[in-house]
Amino acid sequence: MPIQYFLLVAIAVAAFIVWKRFREGVVGLREGLLWSLIWIGAAVVVLLPDTTSVLARFLGVGRGVDVVVYGGIVLLFFLVFKLFVHLDRLEAKMTDLVRQEALRGLDEKKGCCGGCAKKEDSAV
Amino acid sequence: MRVFAVIPAWNEAPRLGGVLEAIRPYVDGVVVVDDGSVDDTSSVARAGGAITLRHMMNRGQGAALRTGTEAALRLGADIIVHVDADGQHDPSMIKTLVDPIREGEADVVFGSRFLGIDPTGMPKIRRMYFWAAKLFNTYVVGISRRVTDPQSGARAMSAAAAKVIDFRQDFSAHCSEILRLVTKSNLRWKEVPVHVRYTQETLQKGQKFTEAFRILWHLLIRGTK
Repeated sequence: MPIQYFLLVAIAVAAFIVWKRFREGVVGLREGLLWSLIWIGAAVVVLLPDTTSVLARFLGVGRGVDVVVYGGIVLLFFLVFKLFVHLDRLEAKMTDLVRQEALRGLDEKKGCCGGCAKKEDSAV
Repeated sequence: MRVFAVIPAWNEAPRLGGVLEAIRPYVDGVVVVDDGSVDDTSSVARAGGAITLRHMMNRGQGAALRTGTEAALRLGADIIVHVDADGQHDPSMIKTLVDPIREGEADVVFGSRFLGIDPTGMPKIRRMYFWAAKLFNTYVVGISRRVTDPQSGARAMSAAAAKVIDFRQDFSAHCSEILRLVTKSNLRWKEVPVHVRYTQETLQKGQKFTEAFRILWHLLIRGTK
């Protein structure tokens, strides 16, 4: 079916991007392997759609395609949460930078550049 | 003992001058952290004699308090008092907050709006909000039930305590976080009654009820120790 060709090309591109990022050092080995596993799983589902029916029967879900949809939703939730946590880490780093910059202003006002604790009391 | 007030200020130019003047008699130094204001907050703070630091962009009240607290420690403060910039707090509360630390009774003192002194102009719906926040703090955040004010912005701490209280929440969730950190630690803490005055202006600028969800979200995402 044409949809299978289309999905396989999309999966191949996604897997290629993962390994390209791995070679560039952006993605770690563990993350690279995890993503490869996800894309291989997706390719299997696309090539052999009946495999999802086996899983569906095992999990007690009606149709194979439902398992894929449910799994996809859970995965997306997980990824969005991970993204939020990552974003928050960036925010925290940004705050640390802004704070360092502000406190440098304090050191300049005191006429010293950090690490001169003895001078601090007399400078105020 | 050198008492330093730390005031986080975001677009508080119209109110900050009055606050600085009012608290002067109670403290040895004032650190104002201009949290990326777009008005004259910094110049008003400097004119009022405060040591003024500026966040180059708005990072939230919690972040500004932490910057100010670190600055006060570097300046040799023995006691640090957190004060709001909008004039809600009665300046005489500083003495009430500081005295237990000065006398060696406590390491951290929280001002409570619900210990006998009725807040002026606090809407009924806000009281209900605080009641819900107290339940949330107790059962979700894990703050001692002995705490009567779940979102108090008025607090004092010894320098030693300030070094230990490692609060990381940048926005309003820092209140709950500090309460949790302190009540779970070995620090001696107490609450004292403080008087707060709500005006139309402070209510408009103050926490909206949707803020409760934001606090919840931040506590979930960044967590607390």
